[in-house]
Amino acid sequence: MSAKKALLPEPAVVQPLAVDMRRLTRVGARPGFLDYLVQLWDFREFIYYDARARVQSGTRRDRLGSAWLLLNPIFNGLTYYVIFGILLQTSGGIENYVGYLVIGIFIFQGTSGAITSGARSIHSNKSVVQAFNFPRATLPIGMNIREMMANVPLILAMLLIIVLIPPVEKITWLWLLIVPALLLQALFNLGVGLILARIISRVHDATHLLPFFMRAWMYGSAIFYSYERFVTHPELLAVLKMNPLFNVIDIIRNCVLYAQAPTWQSWATLAVWALGALVVGLVFFWQGEESYGRG
Amino acid sequence: MVAAEQVLDVEGHPCVVVDRAAMEYRVVTTDSEAVAQERRDTSFLSRLGRRPNTVTVRALYELSLVVERGESVGIIGRNGSGKSTLMKLISGQVKPTSGAVFASSTPIMLGVNAALMPDLSGHQNVVLGCLAMGMSRREIDEKFASIVELCGLEDSIYLPMKSYSSGMASRLRFAIAASIDPEVLLVDEALNTGDAQFGDRSKRRMDQLREQAGCVFLVSHSLETITKMCSRVIWLDKGHLIMDGDPDETVKAYQDFTGHLAKGNNLSAARIRDEARANLQMTEVLARSKMRRSKA
Repeated sequence: MSAKKALLPEPAVVQPLAVDMRRLTRVGARPGFLDYLVQLWDFREFIYYDARARVQSGTRRDRLGSAWLLLNPIFNGLTYYVIFGILLQTSGGIENYVGYLVIGIFIFQGTSGAITSGARSIHSNKSVVQAFNFPRATLPIGMNIREMMANVPLILAMLLIIVLIPPVEKITWLWLLIVPALLLQALFNLGVGLILARIISRVHDATHLLPFFMRAWMYGSAIFYSYERFVTHPELLAVLKMNPLFNVIDIIRNCVLYAQAPTWQSWATLAVWALGALVVGLVFFWQGEESYGRG
Repeated sequence: MVAAEQVLDVEGHPCVVVDRAAMEYRVVTTDSEAVAQERRDTSFLSRLGRRPNTVTVRALYELSLVVERGESVGIIGRNGSGKSTLMKLISGQVKPTSGAVFASSTPIMLGVNAALMPDLSGHQNVVLGCLAMGMSRREIDEKFASIVELCGLEDSIYLPMKSYSSGMASRLRFAIAASIDPEVLLVDEALNTGDAQFGDRSKRRMDQLREQAGCVFLVSHSLETITKMCSRVIWLDKGHLIMDGDPDETVKAYQDFTGHLAKGNNLSAARIRDEARANLQMTEVLARSKMRRSKA
């Protein structure tokens, strides 16, 4: 390259200037981790407003509007019911199969939606990232809060279906345990979303792998079958039951369908996954803070 | 290159210090010859992990600047000379490939590039943009009326932004960016947007901002605007610093240069540029707290 171009002459003189740098900070510099968390807290209004505005505008293009938030998992549930419940008969031995299936699908869709939009949040908001200086983690956090808000009517609809469609389940105090389970699920979603957001902003190819990964995860989470029916090996079964999503779904099924207090092991597994993912996600995302505006 | 013997002390606290910042991009090319050249120049291993058919473009060569409080710096140069890259580095939108930029407070870029969310209404975009710049909801509510007045959108402010004409959208972006009073202000061609009526209003707001700001960087294709508004002008060409100094002298040299180019006298144009470059006094930044950290 350089050989083709005429060389510029060297400048006449290089003048060293001694500058008092004490009051200057590097532009766009990544703050310390704790300062970063404080900054995120300072931008809570931005996060909340961003999330709320997106919930409203998400389905505005469709004639049925927000109804799609609900119709989507219902249609999904019907499809799986026909294929797995009626055609393939994977329901063998499961009590209240419709309820079992509905909980699995609604809960899984919550996670897959949150993780996918969290993962794409930096890439799909590149113009905002380049226009303003703000802590970037606000975008994945906002996306996850948006998903949580959109999820509330879904969870209510899920419970309604379970109450209305026979076999009818009784409402017990155990139903309240859904709330902490969903909160832990949301923290887990956020953590994974943060990790993927940084990866996708660097290597965009990862977005193409994400749907396959989510699908494999869905088939592996005992949504339309039970592990016990297909897995006889006890150690393999133990490994499968480490799956954080299986634990969320299992806890909610136990509370809602079987009026059974979830085991402490399920709670512990889920809590470790959720907090672990959140801490790892925040640190990993924060380390890349300066790189998100590029390109 | 001769190093000056004596180190000059910069009094007080400067607003912006650019310390040997340089910027390279990797971009996709369709020039097969350039790709082949790249393949010869680099090893297979170093190409692994890069996207194929890309070349490195040096948008800005190593550059150091010290800008003090009260200065307004104009940046001129042909298309692709690195003006916008320099602005992006100073505003912190992109991180330089090497070197660093320091500023006394977060620089704010005033331009037409503050792209927002097309599905949201203008009103929501105003709130969101202002929140993103770190304002509180109360401040935004106070300023909302003046933002709407500045952009002149009236009731359209409640319609989705994707229904706006490009002029309306850029006026809104300008009004959002101009709602904050920054200490370090960067202006990238923002004055050239919209109709004449908006032009007057935006110019008045610009003047206000310039008076309040600690220092201003201005990129404009209008050399008249540059000479009128700036106390110092920087001429960049193909990523190199050519001249840095008095507005009238620098703009005149640049006009000579482009005048010769327009007439097709490429050689004499290059001579003007080389002469300016040969007289250039480059800056090297030394931190006073830790003296002489550079390569000497």
